[in-house]
Amino acid sequence: MNLFVLNIAFAALFVTLLEGGGLPTFLFGFALGYAVLWLTKPLYPKTRYFQKFPKTINLTLFFLKELAVSNLKVLWDVITPKHINRPGIIGVPLAARSDLEIFLVANLLSLTPGTLSVDLSEDRRTLYVHVMFLEDVEETRRQIKSGLERRVLEVTR
Amino acid sequence: MIAADQFLTIAIHGALLVLLISMALVLWRLFRGPSAADRVVAMDLLTVLVLAFVVAFAIYTRETTYLDVAIAYACIAFLGTIALARFLLRAYHRMWCYEQEGKLDE
Amino acid sequence: MSEYIAGILIWVGSGFCFVAALGIVRLPDTLTRMHAATKAGTLGAGLLIIGGAVFFQELLVTLRALTIIALVVLTAPVAAHLIGRASYESGVPLSDRTWIDELEAYENEKRASEQYCQPGEW
Repeated sequence: MNLFVLNIAFAALFVTLLEGGGLPTFLFGFALGYAVLWLTKPLYPKTRYFQKFPKTINLTLFFLKELAVSNLKVLWDVITPKHINRPGIIGVPLAARSDLEIFLVANLLSLTPGTLSVDLSEDRRTLYVHVMFLEDVEETRRQIKSGLERRVLEVTR
Repeated sequence: MIAADQFLTIAIHGALLVLLISMALVLWRLFRGPSAADRVVAMDLLTVLVLAFVVAFAIYTRETTYLDVAIAYACIAFLGTIALARFLLRAYHRMWCYEQEGKLDE
Repeated sequence: MSEYIAGILIWVGSGFCFVAALGIVRLPDTLTRMHAATKAGTLGAGLLIIGGAVFFQELLVTLRALTIIALVVLTAPVAAHLIGRASYESGVPLSDRTWIDELEAYENEKRASEQYCQPGEW
């Protein structure tokens, strides 16, 4: 985490030194800082920043892709006169344990394809999810677990 | 091919109009119901639409100050929704329990 | 060039906002309406805000835009989750197209338990 702050500081310094410039300059500075930190990796033996950063990018890209796809599906159901939705509520067993993990899984799930987290069981083992286009219960459950939850856990663990 | 400026002007005027129509639709749902939860959903979307409208207005007037308004609004807007939803949750919970004990008629 | 990108982003963003509003009016029950409201609404507002950032092209404006997007993306699902729970607990009927409901069993079990109506619970 400290390395991330350092990386941001590097990018900010880069922008200041170049006197202005927009987001592209900042991103370039960030990439440059990341490269420099990566080259000096042996100096920080305990950090897991270099494993986690690509995973975070992976999660973000996956999330953005799902957001776009899901919206097109909802859009299709809304603008065509005939409804194609087949809603249902299914329980998904959670592998996520800590507050942060459950928060991330539930919230990202609410924003992605036709799924909406409705309730969390009292023992925090099952997340009840409302699915808008439900065809196959087991298949959907597997998709949620191997798609979103796996990627979230890769970042947090 | 239309000029870039003109294209942007048309886009921003259209966006303001579309957002206003959307707000009217959401208001219809807000009045129509049928359940209290539906009204809360409509109000939640209404806050997002107002936020989008403020940003569109910032582009329309070319004045970045409105973006600060949008930030402040985004900070507080969802509190109303949260409060209403919590209220509904507790109210129905309590009502159900009273019904079980038969105390509701008192 | 950036004017075209900003214009397209603004068009698509307001279009998604419109779809969200239309979904709120057209879809059959509260939970499906929330699908339209949270997803399409968040995406529409987000695209519009990015369009604004592209239009102004200043670092400070971009940072502000990112702040607004972060706030919306953080708060929208939390609000949706709470409304969803409230609507389910209040017994709003689900649409007749709903063909499976695994939450019902858990909800009944919870209501049957002793603690559910203890004063501390609410």
